[in-house]
Amino acid sequence: MHTRKRIWNLAVMLGLLSLIIASCGSNAATPTSAPSSTSLDLNNWASIEQAANGQTVNWYIWGGSDSINRFVDEFYGKALKERYNITLNRVPMADTVDVVNQLLSEKEAGKTTGAVDLIWINGENFASLKQANLLRANWGQSLPNSNYVNWANPAVNLDFGEPVESLESPWSSAQFQFIYDSAKLQASELPRSYAALKDYACANPGKVSYIAPGPGAFQGTRFVKQALFEVSGGAEQWLGKFNQQLWDQWSPKLWDYFNQLEACLWREGSTYPKTENELHSLFANGEVDFSITQAIAGAGSLIKENLVPASARAFVFDDNMIGDFNYVAIPSTAPNPAAALVLANLILDPELQAAQILPENGFGLGYGIDPTKVSDPALAAKLTNAAQQLGDAATPASDLAKSLRSDIAAEYQSLIEQGWDANVLRK
Amino acid sequence: MSYRIIVWVLALILLVPIAIFLVYAFAQGWFFPALWPERWDSALFLRQLADPQLRRAFGQSLIIATGVSMLALMFGYPAARVLELQTFRGRGLIYGLFFLPTVVPSVATGIGLNIVFLRLGLAGTLLGVMLVHLIPVLPYVVLTLGSSFARYDRNYEHQAAVLGASPWFVFWRVSVPMLLPSLVVAGVLAFLISWSQYVLSLLIGGGKIITLPMLLFSAASGGNQSLIASLSLIFITPLLLLLGLVARYLGSPATGATPRP
Repeated sequence: MHTRKRIWNLAVMLGLLSLIIASCGSNAATPTSAPSSTSLDLNNWASIEQAANGQTVNWYIWGGSDSINRFVDEFYGKALKERYNITLNRVPMADTVDVVNQLLSEKEAGKTTGAVDLIWINGENFASLKQANLLRANWGQSLPNSNYVNWANPAVNLDFGEPVESLESPWSSAQFQFIYDSAKLQASELPRSYAALKDYACANPGKVSYIAPGPGAFQGTRFVKQALFEVSGGAEQWLGKFNQQLWDQWSPKLWDYFNQLEACLWREGSTYPKTENELHSLFANGEVDFSITQAIAGAGSLIKENLVPASARAFVFDDNMIGDFNYVAIPSTAPNPAAALVLANLILDPELQAAQILPENGFGLGYGIDPTKVSDPALAAKLTNAAQQLGDAATPASDLAKSLRSDIAAEYQSLIEQGWDANVLRK
Repeated sequence: MSYRIIVWVLALILLVPIAIFLVYAFAQGWFFPALWPERWDSALFLRQLADPQLRRAFGQSLIIATGVSMLALMFGYPAARVLELQTFRGRGLIYGLFFLPTVVPSVATGIGLNIVFLRLGLAGTLLGVMLVHLIPVLPYVVLTLGSSFARYDRNYEHQAAVLGASPWFVFWRVSVPMLLPSLVVAGVLAFLISWSQYVLSLLIGGGKIITLPMLLFSAASGGNQSLIASLSLIFITPLLLLLGLVARYLGSPATGATPRP
């Protein structure tokens, strides 16, 4: 008797449940837009714009900066809608490696049409996706606006030493810079080399720190890499293929430098900030004297976001400041590749490039294109003007150019991260 | 007397973070050693409120969390009932299996399930995200319902049946009212856990489903405190409202042993 009641109860519940699941399933599983043919003809750009008409482009992009998010919506979202009738779906990610994992899972599940149309990417994530053969090939150098890109520049055609091979298209450039507070320090007091930074730190104990190198904190890795250039007597020897012998020769000197520096650091190097924004916060609150940025607008965008005081200014050492490019890539499983191509091309539009470097627009990274390749005089003037409007918070262009070095083979990246962990942090 | 002090200290510990969110969301350019922010500004907070992406994420979170708490009760009720009211071989084992998700990290289950869900066409759908949320939610629902079934007097059900009530009638008019407090608590718990899921939503949603915690985590990766605080406020408001609505059930012993007149 009781069991029958119970079974009856259960049966009703299960029946209801399966009804609900079935109805949800039919609603939720609306077919995604059929993948447009993978044989998009890049020689016939009009046909691509036509194919993209009405599509939604799913752009997976690091979403940690409110001002960058707004720049993307304002400048690309609107232009896509107005010019091409494309809807921009900006998918904010906490870490781009999440997209890499998503694509790897889709591959393992045998999906030919995924969810991702475009990714903001460089470095390790690009290398992983390239190696897994998950990127759309042969398009980067075929976009109409790629004429403005200086593909002959090794800083453009190598992404952390990995050949780009038309698998991605540049968005912007960045260069390592420091930030100081002009209300507290004169430009003449600033250290201009790693040796001088150590002297400064030991003369002002606890007032210097840097970002811990590690996956996801490329700024810290870059800070250490630049020191490697200095202690080894120059960056040139590190270019080209990975050289184990060179690393073995100089890495002990590198760890010596950092171990000597450590005692003079903030909290005597017992702990380090893990992200750029942690360091900005220490700097803004006066705990340390210098922060780090990669933006061509220097401290400009950070001041606008209220992350650092208005008196913050950017500066560089005399040499060894690594600069690089960042890119957009299209997965081979992109559901809307035509719209992704249109967006990648739009990003290189000289007018939008001129807009992206200005601090008031919130993005603040440098040109992805080479302004000297823009022949239209009006557009060229826009690019030149924008570069002159970066304001006091930016590093002077001549200082940036003088100290610029390109990044080196990706193998050094993990050697530096693991080596720093073992020889500096845990010592 | 000392009891009252403890209550106040606890209340303070719980309220201070919310106060900090309020300060950080509206204070702009507040750097040490300044005692007071440069200025108070609601522009960033209001912009978040008006942001279409945030509104969509809020709506999806709401749908998912509501769906999850309903599904969790539907699965959790029969499970808890059988586990507590019956004795059978392997009962302990099954109870243990229900609690396994609380010790297995959700990244591990999430990555594996993502591939399964992709094959089934469930990845990137609301239903898929709801189903995967059941994994961390069910243990708590079964535990909450189970503890009140342990003190549940089935004779009331028998009495109703003897008087001619159909099983369906018994369920709605006897079992549910008696268990109402613990059903509410379990449902709210399911809502709270689902509302704050990040890793599983990210993996199974695959960017097609964007929930509030995903916006919160991506903001946190940037470290802009005003933005994080604004989103946190928006994140906790519905939870506080919900807790306020069901507060009267939270304090009561969730047994249902004493039927109300």
